[in-house]
Amino acid sequence: MKKNIINCCLLIVSILFTQSLMAQKNPLTMELNYNYSMPLSGFKSDLVSNGSARGFRGSIMYPFNNKIAGGVQFGFQDYYQKYPRAIYHSGPSQDISAVISNSIQTTPVILKAKYYPLPDSYVRPYISAGAGGNLVNFKQYLGEFGSTQTNFGFLAQAGVGIMVPFKKMSTSGFYLGSTYDYAPYKKDGYKDLSSLNFQAGINFEIR
Amino acid sequence: MKALLAKCGLVCLSVIYIGCTKDPLNNLTTGESRIYITDHDSAISFTNYKTYSISDSVAVIENGQSRRQLNDADQAYLDAVKKYMNRAGYQMVSKNDDPDLGVNVNHIISTSTGVISYGDYWGDYGGYWDPYYWGYPGYGYYIPYAYSIYSIKEGAISVDILDLKSASVNENKKIDVIWTGLIRGSGIFNTNVADSQVQALFDQSSYLKTN
Repeated sequence: MKKNIINCCLLIVSILFTQSLMAQKNPLTMELNYNYSMPLSGFKSDLVSNGSARGFRGSIMYPFNNKIAGGVQFGFQDYYQKYPRAIYHSGPSQDISAVISNSIQTTPVILKAKYYPLPDSYVRPYISAGAGGNLVNFKQYLGEFGSTQTNFGFLAQAGVGIMVPFKKMSTSGFYLGSTYDYAPYKKDGYKDLSSLNFQAGINFEIR
Repeated sequence: MKALLAKCGLVCLSVIYIGCTKDPLNNLTTGESRIYITDHDSAISFTNYKTYSISDSVAVIENGQSRRQLNDADQAYLDAVKKYMNRAGYQMVSKNDDPDLGVNVNHIISTSTGVISYGDYWGDYGGYWDPYYWGYPGYGYYIPYAYSIYSIKEGAISVDILDLKSASVNENKKIDVIWTGLIRGSGIFNTNVADSQVQALFDQSSYLKTN
């Protein structure tokens, strides 16, 4: 499944590059977004139910034409939750009373494509899709005693949003968007780190 | 101008990356930093025991060496253990009156930068508490479980309950440790908190009672 998605992404990027050779030269743009993330499904029920306001996303995108752009997106999000003291059964006869704190940092790096169906309108809606890797740093504390695991996993993303150019026909502007990030995480009985994300930011030409 | 903008953006992201991570340890109170671990021999019914005796001092186990001491905090822990053993229905008697249970309290310290596993703590238990103290010269101890997955970096208090009732008929000449409780975290070597720490161990061991 993952391999198929990655192959599809590579195919799309190859097609877009071919198209770009025939298109006029367009400026490379950088997007910088503040990101608010809401854990979903197993992430929410098993690890962190609080939303995280501590994150950002950045991407470098190449507009292949006025409707399609592709590039690389990177990001960072910090999730944290402290659960009230409770007694956990850690063996047939062993009990542990502890305040558990979960601290998770994710650093996704993905290949991404954006499609603007109305490139000439003042407010430009878009849809996006991407896939890549996700560096996960998971620290769990029982009281003040912690353990750390670092893993690299898969991440697929789908999103929608709008871009409002600074001036008509400009490739720079404000962004508002939302993405669903699918991130499996099969460790210690956990299932995934999937999340719903909301972004606000700007993009500007860098070359 | 564009290059400068891009560099500024990357610097901002770097600052956010470093600054926006929440440190869990900075969000814990002293009380929340503590953990309480209890374990017991699940084949034992604690209602079969009625009397206990408790040691008159605390074993301070530091980097594999031990000594006995009795300062105010140690006394507070001994008093708290007596209080909650009595509350569970056990009657305190002298160790010369054939108690069913013996209770040891240990103060475990590590001053090294390494990690002492709880398994190491059990490894020389007979060295910390000579079975002679409980009237069984030539005996050893048998601990059927250990907190092997946990480690002690700073300090801990442990309370162990020994099965003296069965020791005299134990063919292996072992005194079985049938219950153990461990308190770890900040500020535990303190007279004021001893009672609440011991209470936490007993509260999560509802099976520890005479009826």
